[in-house]
Amino acid sequence: MIRTQGLGRRFGEKVAVEGLDLEAREGEVLALLGPNGAGKTTTVRMLSCILSPTSGTAWVAGHSITAEPGAVRQAVGVLTESPGLYRRLSARRNLEFFGELYGVRDIKDRVEKYLRFFGLWERRNDPVGTLSKGMRQKLALARALLHDPKVLLLDEPTAGLDPESARAVRDFIQELKAEGRTVLLCTHNLPEAEELADRIALLRTRLIALGTPRELKERFSGARVVVELLNPHEGLVGALDLPEVRGAKLEGNELWVEITDPRHSVPALVRRLVELGAEILEVRRAEASLEEVYLKLMEGSKDAAD
Amino acid sequence: MRRIRAIVKREWEEAVRIKMVLFSVSFLPLFLTGFASYLVWQGRNLPPQAQAALLNTALVYFLVLPVVIPLSIAAYSIVGEKEQGTLEPLLATPIRDWELFLGKALAPMVPGILISWAAFCLFLVATGFILGHIPARIVSLPWLLSIFVLTPFLALFAVLVTMIVSSRTSDTRAAYQFSSLAAIPALIPLLVYTGKLVNIDLKFVGIEGGLLLVADALTFLFALKLFGREEIITRWR
Repeated sequence: MIRTQGLGRRFGEKVAVEGLDLEAREGEVLALLGPNGAGKTTTVRMLSCILSPTSGTAWVAGHSITAEPGAVRQAVGVLTESPGLYRRLSARRNLEFFGELYGVRDIKDRVEKYLRFFGLWERRNDPVGTLSKGMRQKLALARALLHDPKVLLLDEPTAGLDPESARAVRDFIQELKAEGRTVLLCTHNLPEAEELADRIALLRTRLIALGTPRELKERFSGARVVVELLNPHEGLVGALDLPEVRGAKLEGNELWVEITDPRHSVPALVRRLVELGAEILEVRRAEASLEEVYLKLMEGSKDAAD
Repeated sequence: MRRIRAIVKREWEEAVRIKMVLFSVSFLPLFLTGFASYLVWQGRNLPPQAQAALLNTALVYFLVLPVVIPLSIAAYSIVGEKEQGTLEPLLATPIRDWELFLGKALAPMVPGILISWAAFCLFLVATGFILGHIPARIVSLPWLLSIFVLTPFLALFAVLVTMIVSSRTSDTRAAYQFSSLAAIPALIPLLVYTGKLVNIDLKFVGIEGGLLLVADALTFLFALKLFGREEIITRWR
């Protein structure tokens, strides 16, 4: 549904996106994660044919963004960084106007459907300027869906929303996924990406990593185990002089140990601890959070760039 | 065509909700019609030559109106989209640049022309009432052609120039400010009428109409070239 090939965009000397190779399959939610200025919005703008790439190309819903921009625009629904609605016009008229531009046939019915779905029907005749931020965001989402696109490009869909509205938007993205739509989700919100995305692409001008949340955690977090002890004491930390152990720290009755490879290191570690007189209650793998992986990768990419 | 119609309709819906636009669209025609009628009343007892000069001046107001009325709407057209952040979702739709520009040009132009024509008809009624008849000079073919045929070309020119300004500015106030300057090139042909530099005959109206048509086409193409959707999206915050 979305495929980019060496996609890049420069603004004069500044490189916004470089050599981006990505693929989002039908019915997949692909999250683009990265700090401010990482190129997420520029990528969305290129994929929605608002900006043209300066290198590479991409195909969205089977259409080339460089050769068939009109067909791409017709095939995608875009939620821009800010809702971008006409404040003086009513919620209903905003949707009808965009429906007319997209050539939606049964505009009135579709507008009613989405206004009801998002709980905005009672406010349909109110000027958008009088709606809350959450309502405007929902209205912008309704606009993105009005022409029934197979591909949705959502740029920070929950930014600035209260927890309740953000929850509603996230639930809605889950529904889009269940309907088989392809969603490219740009976000800073790591728990949101982890909850919604099938795969996550970490971006900092270039693609840094790509995988499912679990794959990313396993691939980049290193291996850690937690040993729960009956008789914890600080002496254990200093005495763990095994080559398989990269570091250790004691937190309460839990000994956190960084190891080289779980398969071979854990038996050696347990043996050594028993030798040291430790009474072991439990040994378990400790999984890094997505935030830890993200920070580690971003730090690494920064060092590489420096 | 469907998209152009949608743009025109939305522009009107927004314009009627902006008090400043409503004021400028309604006050100026009423004021100038009243003032032109006052000139006719002032000249009612003057010798024919002096009366003709006053009528000439009064008639020029109705050439100015369609140029000036649409400017406040046109000034807001692009910069208003930037200000509300609506330009990006608008450009994400399948609309083409020329459709957007034409829709945005027609939206202020059409009411401007219709209001000006209505004001002219009101002036004819007032003149008939004041003088007891409508002087042949006012309803002569060159003048009627000037008012009913040339004014749309003049208005389009002024609107396009204002839209160029609107697409290059980032502030609504600046766009309004510059829009008054944008009217100047459109008003130049009118100096010919007031200055009586040439005879206002059918030949003159035909030449001026042809020149304005070419100027409109060139300005439209120039405006499209300058529009630069990418530059507007990336540079304007």
